[in-house]
Amino acid sequence: MQQYVTLKIDDARVQAIKGASVLDAAMASGICIPHLCYVPVLKDSGACRLCIVEVVNDGRTKITASCTLNAEDGMVIRSNTERIRKLRKNIAELLVAQAPNSRAVQDIAVRCGVKEVRYPFRNDNCIQCGRCVRYCTEYSKANALGFVGRGKNRHVEFALGFRRDFCKKCGFCTEYCPMSVTPCGGSMKSGEGRLCGNCESQTATADKFTGVCVRCELGRGFGCVRQTYV
Amino acid sequence: MTALNSILKGRQSQPHLLIEVLHDVQDLYGYLPEEAMSAVAQELGVPLMEVYRVACFYKAFSLKPRGKHVFTVCTGTACHVRGAKLLIDQVKGQLNIEPGETTEDGLVTIENVNCVGACALGPVVIQNGAYCHHMTPGKLRKAIDKSRGKKKKEERAHA
Ligand code: SF4
Ligand code: SF4
Ligand code: FES
Ligand code: FES
Repeated sequence: MQQYVTLKIDDARVQAIKGASVLDAAMASGICIPHLCYVPVLKDSGACRLCIVEVVNDGRTKITASCTLNAEDGMVIRSNTERIRKLRKNIAELLVAQAPNSRAVQDIAVRCGVKEVRYPFRNDNCIQCGRCVRYCTEYSKANALGFVGRGKNRHVEFALGFRRDFCKKCGFCTEYCPMSVTPCGGSMKSGEGRLCGNCESQTATADKFTGVCVRCELGRGFGCVRQTYV
Repeated sequence: MTALNSILKGRQSQPHLLIEVLHDVQDLYGYLPEEAMSAVAQELGVPLMEVYRVACFYKAFSLKPRGKHVFTVCTGTACHVRGAKLLIDQVKGQLNIEPGETTEDGLVTIENVNCVGACALGPVVIQNGAYCHHMTPGKLRKAIDKSRGKKKKEERAHA
């Protein structure tokens, strides 16, 4: 028999299957916690840190990523406090600075309330979310891609530097990469520190219904799970 | 490839021996050739990607053939404070190569690592496995000259 746990997310009592993550539980009950590296069919790696939440324990709060946090009975989670929004916005800003030309990253940044980026652009075209690597290893079982190098030299690479014949050419790595969403016309150009205004109206609505998925168009950009389930 | 086979002998299908095996391969060839990595992956049952990742992660492994003399300059915190940068500058000026490169004649390779665990003796340079403590640019220059000079003498002898 399926076992359930009951927890509180943003003051709502939520039931979740035992073993599910807090992010799963929230999404299943219609609470949108922004996320990027999370992909339903893959193991969670907690790479992007966008899905941070506050866990309240004995009156103390701890901040942690919700995709790698197991839902437990009696947990109290806050996903939309002032503090979280501020931190999340900052994280989103850093992600945009890392890959300013990615439509998906821009979309999600706007969703997190970013209107301007205060950090210098790195133009890396990869935010190291590990979606490609995890797809390749876990889903396609090809092991053609991996993270190579340490620290600031860490990057995604084929085994020994080029595409091997054990790459199954399934294309998941590119399909699920947030960099592969075609940029919209008004996207931020490199060297410009401002997100285009087209999305701001969307953010305004998202802000009004805090914590509720408003089926934002923006979600499509990064393959929000709720959008792909519909 | 027989030497490689003897390294792999008795270690088949034991992924946890990867690093040990790579160390042996590195000792054998002085670097990790592609074919050897493929063979290791095959025999140990580790994806090639994993082998490559491990090989790239540790400074102890080299993917390119190294020179006859390998100078490893420690650029860890303690050595940095004690002037490791001067040593690197010395090398760059003297050999015209960057750390991680080998001179064109294949004689000298310069590498840098972050701490070799002998901080009190810093700045440390490891010359072909031997630790040289309290290095100065002058001492390093002499050591490099010596390792290259030997070749010149040999050449003269041959001529
Ligand atoms: S196309 Fe190749 S590299 Fe990309 S996920 Fe598929 S098997 Fe891996
Ligand atoms: S290449 Fe794309 S999917 Fe892979 S880690 Fe980078 S941003 Fe993520
Ligand atoms: S979705 Fe949780 S860290 Fe990326
Ligand atoms: S920093 Fe050079 S030996 Fe530790």
